[in-house]
Amino acid sequence: MDRQDSLNGSIPLIVLKILTQRGPLHGYAIGAHIQAMSDDVLRVEQGSLYPALHRMEEGGWIKAKWIQTENKRRARLYEITTAGRKQLAKEEARWSMVTAAVGQILQRA
Amino acid sequence: MSWLSRLINAFRSERLDRDIDDEAQFHVEQTTEELIRTGLLPEEAAMRARELFGGRLQLREASRDAKLIPWIESLVQDAHFGVRILLKERSITVAALLSLSLAVGACTAAFSLIDALMLRPLPVPEPRALVGISFQREAPFPGAAPRDDSFSYPFLENAREVSGGRAELFGMTVWGPLQSAVFDDGTPEPAPEKVRIQWISGNGLAVLGVRPMLGRLLVEADDRPDEKLSVAVISYGFWMRRFGGSPSVLGQTFTRNDTRFQIVGVTQKDFSGVEPGYLNDVWVPLMAYGSARSLRNPGNERFAICGRLKSGVGPEQLRQTLQAAFTNFRKEHASELLRPGTSPERIARYVDTRLNVNSAAQGHRTFLRWQFERPLWILATVVGLVLLIACSNVANLFVARSAARRREMAMRAALGGGRKRLLQQVLIENCLLAIAASTIGLGLASVFAPSIVGLMSTTGDPTYLDVHPDGRVFVFLAFMSLLTTLLFGMAPALRASASKPLDAFKDGGRQSARIGLLRPILTAQVAFSFVVLFVAGLLLTSFYRLTSVDLGFSQKNVLLFEMDLAGTLGAGGSGVRAERARALQVEVLDRLRHFPGVQGAGTSLFALMGGATTPVLGPPIRFAGSGIERTRPHFLTVSPGFFATMQVPVLSGRDFTNPDSEPPMPNAVIVNQSFARQFFPNKDAVGQRFQRMIDDDGSFGDLEIVGVVHDAKYNNLREPDAPTVYQPARGVGSAVEVRTAGNPISIAPALRKLIQQVDPSLHVVRMTLQSTHTGETILQERMLALLGGFFALVAVMLSAVGLYGVLGYSMVQRTKEIGIRMALGAPLFHVVRTVTEDVAVAIAVGITVGLAGGFASSRFVSSLLFEVKPSDFGSVALPLCFLLLASGLAAIRPALRSTRVDPMTALRYE
Repeated sequence: MDRQDSLNGSIPLIVLKILTQRGPLHGYAIGAHIQAMSDDVLRVEQGSLYPALHRMEEGGWIKAKWIQTENKRRARLYEITTAGRKQLAKEEARWSMVTAAVGQILQRA
Repeated sequence: MSWLSRLINAFRSERLDRDIDDEAQFHVEQTTEELIRTGLLPEEAAMRARELFGGRLQLREASRDAKLIPWIESLVQDAHFGVRILLKERSITVAALLSLSLAVGACTAAFSLIDALMLRPLPVPEPRALVGISFQREAPFPGAAPRDDSFSYPFLENAREVSGGRAELFGMTVWGPLQSAVFDDGTPEPAPEKVRIQWISGNGLAVLGVRPMLGRLLVEADDRPDEKLSVAVISYGFWMRRFGGSPSVLGQTFTRNDTRFQIVGVTQKDFSGVEPGYLNDVWVPLMAYGSARSLRNPGNERFAICGRLKSGVGPEQLRQTLQAAFTNFRKEHASELLRPGTSPERIARYVDTRLNVNSAAQGHRTFLRWQFERPLWILATVVGLVLLIACSNVANLFVARSAARRREMAMRAALGGGRKRLLQQVLIENCLLAIAASTIGLGLASVFAPSIVGLMSTTGDPTYLDVHPDGRVFVFLAFMSLLTTLLFGMAPALRASASKPLDAFKDGGRQSARIGLLRPILTAQVAFSFVVLFVAGLLLTSFYRLTSVDLGFSQKNVLLFEMDLAGTLGAGGSGVRAERARALQVEVLDRLRHFPGVQGAGTSLFALMGGATTPVLGPPIRFAGSGIERTRPHFLTVSPGFFATMQVPVLSGRDFTNPDSEPPMPNAVIVNQSFARQFFPNKDAVGQRFQRMIDDDGSFGDLEIVGVVHDAKYNNLREPDAPTVYQPARGVGSAVEVRTAGNPISIAPALRKLIQQVDPSLHVVRMTLQSTHTGETILQERMLALLGGFFALVAVMLSAVGLYGVLGYSMVQRTKEIGIRMALGAPLFHVVRTVTEDVAVAIAVGITVGLAGGFASSRFVSSLLFEVKPSDFGSVALPLCFLLLASGLAAIRPALRSTRVDPMTALRYE
């Protein structure tokens, strides 16, 4: 399987999950985590990651703040919100349902 | 992110872009470091990282879409674009802004005046429950202020009793002149000060709902007759002005006539009385108004009755209760109140008079309100028309401009801009303009409004109207902006939004060579201008006629003043006081006459030309052996030298001399020509005798005519010359007239000092010029003439600018057509006609409509007109000529330009 980026609608689910587990992270770290935790299988294009983050921020699932890094650079940290946790639960449930259903089809067909 | 932060983002999209860039930059740097760690050279790593990141611009767009409400962003974009367009076409923008802000400013000024005088409720709790009562009454003479709200003290008591369950009533004095009061602040010989005093029932302020700022208000127990020491409450404003806001004001006293008043309280800050237009300074108990005996007199009708309805009671219920009491009261007292011998019909009418209960939420109907209600509404109508003219003007300019922008609009439509978006663009531009115009207009209004208040003021008693912009004015202004945006913006907006993509590629996109949409706008504009010109013409003409009325006396270089005699005459029996008053008259006039620069001096009971507030009906007279009885001519007591001072020629007989006013009852009188002509036709009036009623009891005293003088105006400029009787004055009246050789103002201070030399306790309390005094009888007319004339000029100017714009536009639109016509050999005349024909028709229609409108609206000003009728030739011809002249001037340049079109250039024009 190629490294791929066709995560489609699953970016929010992954991002929310990572943020619950790891606490506040900047965009680069989120991308790095996705890549590392999927053993390099999943790679998110920055072009989809940032708009997705901004949309999620818009939706109120995550919130962002600017911080100064040790080497005096502006970095934007994302953090999950209460609404985000609820959304995560919903998305997780939906994901399990969908993957279970897809698995079932693959087995029976 | 909240809706709010998105909104904020919309307005700081640069900042937002920077944030997104920063975030991307951070990402790229992180990737670079990562790549360096894997062994790449730094430069290589940086390049690779940027490659990996991809198009930064796209990211920006994608992220922004998430962050902004796109519509708001489009609004801001359109606004930016709108400002650019407005700045680019500077001349159009300035013209539009100028006309709109002038019109909006004028409207706002008119509104704030009308609001302050008539609409704004009193600053008390539940002003809606306040009522006042009045009755119907014919004005005693034409142009007189209707005093239809004065009741006697006995009726006030009666009304309070019967209305107990329905309303709490109280009485008060209204329309009072400024009073002299002497404040006892420790200085020897304190000068009397002019203060506005209102006598009000003890419960009055409490019923109104006024709160004390300091001390207490009046209470029922304060309201007792014949007190030598009473109490007073002062207004916050007076406290600040006179006492500098010192708390030690409580307990201070002042004297008015023989009564001392002790200040016991200060009213709340924003309450300045119940009479809009006047600032009240002091409230004192009603019963301090006169002796207990005079208060008991049912014929002494001095008080207005106001009150507060109890909750759940309607005005009509109160009216019925009071009507019954009023009818009974009049029935009971008719015999005392009406003169003996009054006809039964008159008595019946008197008894059956209808009583009204009116809302007093906006305060008592003051003289000022009576005087300026109509003029202000007329003014508001005129400025409203000017606003319509300004709007149509801007609409014209914008339609013309939108023609120039048709290509732009069509191009935008072609590129996928929706009809809505195009409409939005134009509306936003209009909004920007309207908001700018309102802001400037507000500034103009804060200059206009106080100057109009100045036009409504008299020197002795300046009008006070709070016209500073408050919440109500801002609401009005917002409404005006919306209205103007719709009015001038609709036509251009609709036109722009109807752009079809194909037009962009058509040759210049010319659809029609006619002026189309502009014609109805131009017609409307001309019609409105004509109405304004017509009405302003009527007002100006009648003002001119009023100021050129032959007064019968000369007011040039005549100084008027009034003296406070209370301190000088002092106590003592009436005989002693009368003798002192007579001596004082002789001495004062003698001193004045010998002062260098003074040509004559006299005194009279009141100054000539007192206007609507002066009582003018004298007592009835009768002639022995003649059928004429109960005629009531004007009466005026004057001193010797009065006629010489006023330059009223003595036609036969003699002027008064000092012995004429000596006791016993003086019986020498002087009459005017009209009197002599009416009552003694065909014989010499000098030496004739007649009788006047001395008291209301019906006794008559003998009078003998010793001289006949030329007719002179008595009360106002509008009255015809009427029979007048002059009697010798037995003291100094409320007016002293001094004629000077030069400008009286220059010796006025010296005259003040001279009066003080006669007796240190004598004070000049009011000084003015006879010409100013006369002018104050036509304040309304003057205000309307000045403002009407000003706005007529504005209207004509606006119309001319609009016309110029339309013609210029039409000319540009048809350059090609003109070129072809000229190439085919059309004469110049035809070319000019081509351009001007449409416009001429629009003007003709506009004038016709305007004439009809002018005639219809002249009904509303007819009561203010003097010796001029809407149907007069001049009334129609003058505005017509003026408008045609202005149109002609505006048309010259575009018409000339059309004749200079070079056929070849025109055909190559595209």
